[in-house]
Amino acid sequence: MLFSRRLMLGLAIAGTIAFPALAEGPTEIDLFFPVPVDGKLARDMGTLIKEFNETHPAIKATAVYTGSYDDTLIKTRASIKAGKPPAAVIMSANFLLDMQIENELTNLDSLIAADGTTKDQFLGQFFPALQGNAVIDRSVYGVPFHNSTPLLYINADQAKEAGLDPNKPPQTWAELTDWAKKLTKREGDKVTRWGIAIPCAYDYCGWMMETLTMTNGGRYYNEEFGGEVYYDTPSMQGALTWWNDLVYKHKVHPPGATPGPAVSTSFISGNAAMMMLSTGSLTYVRDNAKFAYKVAFIPRNVRNAVPIGGASLIIPAGQEADKQKAAWTLIKWMTSPEKSGWWSRATGYFAPNMAAYKTPDMVDFLNKNPDAKTAVEQLDVAKPWFATYKTVPVRKTLEDEVMLVLNGKKQPKEALAAAQKAADELLKPYNAETSLKLP
Amino acid sequence: MSLAEPAALPVAASAPPRLHLAKRFSTRFKASLPAYLLLLPSLVFLALFTYGAVGRVFIDALYQRATPKAPVRFVGLDNISAVLADPAFTGAVVNNLIYAVGTAIPSIGLALLFALALSRTNALTSALRAALFLPVLIPMVAASALFLFIFLPNVGLLDYYIGRFLPVLPNWLGDSDIALYAIMVITIWKNAGYYMLFFLAGLQSVPEDVMEAAHLDGAGPFTRFRHIILPELKPTFLFVTVIAILNAVTQVDHVFVMTKGGPSNATNLVLFYIYQQAVEHYDIGKASAATLLTLAALMALTALSFRTMANREGGA
Repeated sequence: MLFSRRLMLGLAIAGTIAFPALAEGPTEIDLFFPVPVDGKLARDMGTLIKEFNETHPAIKATAVYTGSYDDTLIKTRASIKAGKPPAAVIMSANFLLDMQIENELTNLDSLIAADGTTKDQFLGQFFPALQGNAVIDRSVYGVPFHNSTPLLYINADQAKEAGLDPNKPPQTWAELTDWAKKLTKREGDKVTRWGIAIPCAYDYCGWMMETLTMTNGGRYYNEEFGGEVYYDTPSMQGALTWWNDLVYKHKVHPPGATPGPAVSTSFISGNAAMMMLSTGSLTYVRDNAKFAYKVAFIPRNVRNAVPIGGASLIIPAGQEADKQKAAWTLIKWMTSPEKSGWWSRATGYFAPNMAAYKTPDMVDFLNKNPDAKTAVEQLDVAKPWFATYKTVPVRKTLEDEVMLVLNGKKQPKEALAAAQKAADELLKPYNAETSLKLP
Repeated sequence: MSLAEPAALPVAASAPPRLHLAKRFSTRFKASLPAYLLLLPSLVFLALFTYGAVGRVFIDALYQRATPKAPVRFVGLDNISAVLADPAFTGAVVNNLIYAVGTAIPSIGLALLFALALSRTNALTSALRAALFLPVLIPMVAASALFLFIFLPNVGLLDYYIGRFLPVLPNWLGDSDIALYAIMVITIWKNAGYYMLFFLAGLQSVPEDVMEAAHLDGAGPFTRFRHIILPELKPTFLFVTVIAILNAVTQVDHVFVMTKGGPSNATNLVLFYIYQQAVEHYDIGKASAATLLTLAALMALTALSFRTMANREGGA
């Protein structure tokens, strides 16, 4: 008896060593996911992955929470260096170019071709505005997962009180300035309510500068090539000058650099009558505002245009073939119309998959929450998010100077010239290898 | 330690014959072998997690890529000179100096004050000591998140109470002139209670009889403080100062949570600069070089202060 038990145990061990595939079971994969906005995103992700595992017995996916967008990039890079990259990552959409330059991404073209679809068919599922950040050199490197655009939020009660019609929100910078003046409340020199607040902290500040520059007709960077940014240009100068005027000339915008959460708290508490913030904050505002609010397109000076934000699903480089395939199955499932729509309703981001808006659940939801529709409509004028070689430091050169302007330490013109100079310096090595590498 | 004693014995002055030397060496090694064996586990872990990492930093600091796709190559001291020429680094060093002085002096002063006030043990002082020590128990990240709300412009606790008396509400963390000082307040709040413990311990060693004698000689409280307590507390001062300066360089959790070094690098400290180089710039060479410079400065400081301490104790 004892002998046979030992024998069996021995055989079992030998079997596991000899035929690992038999003992292994489902392909185990990790998904790194960040939580960029407050709330119950982590729990929602758990629900999503549980459903995936139940419907896909051959794969066992595990969702690994990895902090903010920046932290997720750090952890992904660390695990690539350690030789154990996760099978899939939800990555901030504007980090893809930088990662591709560093050879850290899997080109998804062959996986798409293996499914028997063409690249155009595959990309055609998603809003055109999102494709710019997913496609690099005509190859697909990311699949849009959840996205956002900036919106103008208006405290409708305060607008009515000031004699303004919240159903006709300001459409141009001139109108917005006028609204902000009327909505600002003062006691002597002291401002007790600001007309408008625009966030400026690292990350948000660059995004808002891109927004204002775009509505002023400009471009923040070269969408086709990672080695150029357009900081010292009339369109950006106009944008920053207007922002500066709101603070120091009209005195309707709080001075200094204010991070996103401080801006939304200010708006919720009635201390700022209008704000520019991501659509990602819509659920938060909807749940917390004790007053009637309105959302509207970002007003224009030259044209209506906004950058996208949000994240895409990627497969890091150096992944084993079977895990790559399993990751691809997971990615396609997560970005399908039904799941995309479910995630959008849970988080407040818009669903990148256009078919999601045709599902009955989504139609219902939009009828109940018409404010969510504004974000989707604005997508028609949306463009890619800035992405360059060394995106974060290049962005920071601009943000540091913008903060100096908002703190009254520099004038827009000299600030942008300094930002351009610093950014060009950072982009030099990339240009030396590409645009300036002459035969 | 006694096991290792033979190894520490001074070598005989005259040169012994070769064979003799080898024999002696082996006996000595044999004698201290158990000591080395006992120390081995620590050595393994130190090598893996401390010396290995330090060695890696030394190596990484010597290499750099010329262009993104180029392989890393040996550049010698170029990384170090690049760091020294970087205005962001010099800015971070200046910020760190202001931060170190501006947090060390007030927190040590407060700690001494607390310790003097609460040196006698009774129910009330115990409760107060616990209350003052409480901030030490709160993790820096949690404390920063808390202060983030206190510092919120216009609607935060601070503006709610102080705002009524000020003509313009300050943007505590968003104004590049104020942000560093706002950060310093948190550090002082957090560390004063911790340093108080050292001073409380130091006060125990002030000899009672000397104090009594001074009292009988008619020395007032200030004279006793100036001529007896302060000199007795000198080693404590030195120790706490070193700890405070080390803290000023190694604790940047609140910078990370509250400002990310901004606005416009106003709260960028050296350790956060290193983080930025490694993570945001993805420039391991420069990050390692900056780490080496910081490490050198910290080691010099520590060595200097411990030597002073040893001298003082030896001289006493």
